[in-house]
Amino acid sequence: MKQLKYIIAIAAAYFLASCHKLNVPPLNIISEDQVFSSANGVQAYLANIYTFLPMEDFVYEPNGGFMTGNGGRWQCFYQMDAIDGEMAGPYGGTGDAAQGFGFWPYDRIRVINILLADLPKYANLYSQAQLNEWLGEAYFCRAYTYFALVKRYGGVPIVNTVADPNATPASLQVPRDKEEDVYNFIGSDFDSAYALMWAPGVAGNPGIQLGAANKYAAMAYKSRAMLFAATIAKYGAANYVDGPARAAGFVGIPAADANKFFQASYDAAKLVEGNFSLYTGGYPDKVQNYVDLFLKPNNEWIFIRQYTLSDPNVNNDNAGPHSWDATMTCRIMTGDGLSRTYPDLDYVERYGSLPIVNADGTPTRFNNLSDITIGLEPRLQGTIYFTGNTLRGVTFDQQRGIYKTFTGSAAQELSDNLNSPNDVYAQYPDTNSSANLIFASDPNSTYRNHRVIGRAGFNPSTGDDNTRTGFYLRKYVNYNAAASACGLYQSTQSYVDMRYAEVLLNRAEAAYELGMTGDALADINQIRDRAGAVEATASMTLDTIRNERDKELGFEHQYWWDIRRWRIADQVLDNRKLYGLMPYYIATENKYIFIKQIETFQRTYTFQKLWYYEPLPGGELGKNPNLYPNNPGY
Amino acid sequence: MNNSIKLLFAALAVLAAASCAKTDNYAAPNSTFQGNFIDSVTGQNLLTETGGAQLMLKQLSWSSTPDPYYIPAKPDGSFEDTRIFSGNYSVIPTQGAFWPTDSIVKQISGNTTVNFTVTPYLEITNFNHTQDADSLVMTCQLSAPRTDGLPEILEIWPFVNSTEYVGSGAYISNFTISDQSNGSYNLAPINTTWNATIAATTYKCVVHGLIAGRTYYARLGVRVNDSYKKYNFSPVIEVDVPTK
Repeated sequence: MKQLKYIIAIAAAYFLASCHKLNVPPLNIISEDQVFSSANGVQAYLANIYTFLPMEDFVYEPNGGFMTGNGGRWQCFYQMDAIDGEMAGPYGGTGDAAQGFGFWPYDRIRVINILLADLPKYANLYSQAQLNEWLGEAYFCRAYTYFALVKRYGGVPIVNTVADPNATPASLQVPRDKEEDVYNFIGSDFDSAYALMWAPGVAGNPGIQLGAANKYAAMAYKSRAMLFAATIAKYGAANYVDGPARAAGFVGIPAADANKFFQASYDAAKLVEGNFSLYTGGYPDKVQNYVDLFLKPNNEWIFIRQYTLSDPNVNNDNAGPHSWDATMTCRIMTGDGLSRTYPDLDYVERYGSLPIVNADGTPTRFNNLSDITIGLEPRLQGTIYFTGNTLRGVTFDQQRGIYKTFTGSAAQELSDNLNSPNDVYAQYPDTNSSANLIFASDPNSTYRNHRVIGRAGFNPSTGDDNTRTGFYLRKYVNYNAAASACGLYQSTQSYVDMRYAEVLLNRAEAAYELGMTGDALADINQIRDRAGAVEATASMTLDTIRNERDKELGFEHQYWWDIRRWRIADQVLDNRKLYGLMPYYIATENKYIFIKQIETFQRTYTFQKLWYYEPLPGGELGKNPNLYPNNPGY
Repeated sequence: MNNSIKLLFAALAVLAAASCAKTDNYAAPNSTFQGNFIDSVTGQNLLTETGGAQLMLKQLSWSSTPDPYYIPAKPDGSFEDTRIFSGNYSVIPTQGAFWPTDSIVKQISGNTTVNFTVTPYLEITNFNHTQDADSLVMTCQLSAPRTDGLPEILEIWPFVNSTEYVGSGAYISNFTISDQSNGSYNLAPINTTWNATIAATTYKCVVHGLIAGRTYYARLGVRVNDSYKKYNFSPVIEVDVPTK
């Protein structure tokens, strides 16, 4: 009986507890009001947006994407500049990556649209300036994301509201917008960002927060995007692949609108003036200054991505450390990894021909390998590791082989393949008397007490683990880190996605196209002065400006997009071979010569005109028939 | 322990064998679609190379927005696909060095043969060659079946290979690059739209450095600056370089 009492009591307790309705807030899901009702919540939400911003940083692969959550993201050598002819890299050719990777970030656009639509509901919790700053950042990120889309596909659907997943499929199948309309939308989002955000560091406003957008970053990117639109309008009108998508305006912009976009680019670039400046903190050594520009936070950096060793999710987001140092120079200078992509001589020749051939055609004799850098422009020396440079106490000693003797010209040597006495060659140790040119597969092989090849190259037995061109990339390589700290996922130097030098180059190009040559000349000469180059004169041409851009922004993943928007990629990459600068030692003379030769893999790079636009991803076309017609040629 | 693992593997094998009982009841792609690209001027097969032209097919039976499907040309100007689904297709020759054509609609089933007549941008005529020691000289003239609206003519390329499969996708570049030390090519540049001078000119490409005792295959290719920049070719010649 006593027991029964307890049973009834317990049963009653169950009945009491059982009648909760099911609409309780779940504890494992963070709701919107929990996020947007605290400053920390909003900042965390924005940080997530920045993390997934489609930035072509150290780990971006043109055919692999932004490598979020990808274990292959240590392979920094799979990069854009290895398909566009700036570098000889692991890709077999331009076609390996020219059609992209099916980028379609409407999930990320939705995340941004939610903030833009719902954060204003919590306006009473924040100051107006703070609210506007956050909204401005969101506009910036949305424009940034759409720009990443439009430069690949041309016109895409503009989605600027939060779609209801329960809506009818037909209403969710948003049709494509015209390429021009997408650029206009991007321009207007950047304008909104500019209008909403505070002027950093002025009138009590907080200063620039590294890694986050700011008012002037919006204008810097607007100058980039509008320049794309302008050049596509101007040059795409003459060089295009025809098709239904072009006829409908989904790709291509009317040539008549080119100047409108050039003007927008110029105006945006001008607004950045005075708020950022070219880095000169390392003067008077202009080589070291240029090297440090990419390694030390400075007032040229407009928008960057940061990396941290303490991020536990090495592979799961973009904030974990990268592997630039382990993958850009060879293993004798690093703690782990390997290099597989190398600047080619074509980049170096943007600065003019190297003095490697005498007037009579014979190769110039050098006493030391390092003598090749004498008299070169400081910016070039700061961008490339030449033979004779040192890194972490180790010398770049790349050498292709030894000529016992060398007579005649380099041209003869290369043209009469196998038919001239110079290049009867042999592989070490087969240094018999008839062989004049000796190669080796072991850097310890010596001929008359002189190494046959260098430790940093060229060693045919190690494939492309050492240079194929005679060069290594210096830009962004952290010379301060010890070799032991240069392993995989150990590098944390920031990626500078937008710097003031680009704004000046955007401005110069737009100004020149608009006929304001004086403004363009002044911009170019600011760049040249910092680079340690000879000043340009009023006789400069559009090619001068483009070449200046290619020099200054080389290996910053810009060249691919530049040759696309100038619509010259199919001419620049036309059965194109990449060249190297091959150093040889001449035993009888105890001198070195450098010969311009095709890089050791002899790959061919060709750009097909239809690649001026990537194909829309097949999966998206399957889901949304309103995306048709696909881009011309696909 | 050992026994139980054996037992597990045996069970796995039985289950694996029994698991795939369903059969795919959809007919395999068992039709054949073949034919030739015919040069409207010569009436012969188009002189092309592997992938030098494509047929673009769209199967109309299933969708109003079908994914395109491509069959590449073979080096002899023919095409053949022996594993294609039966159905109603729209077919158009494209991505080749010929004037755009209209698509046709074709029911493909069993063994379907269609020839597509195309008008090349350019014909290589009076193609001759002489060979002396390590040099090969190839000469030709150009004619244009249609000149109105013909895109800019770019240049004539010499292609040399060690097999009969020779063209822009298969050539020994050392013979086409005339001077590595300045990166120049031994092309015959034209870079202008069609005019009477082109018609009257005999173009010449010289290849050096052939190795004694070897056999090479060579041809010329000319292209215009259209969307695809493919080549109109000469026939392939065989060149036997005598031993020294």
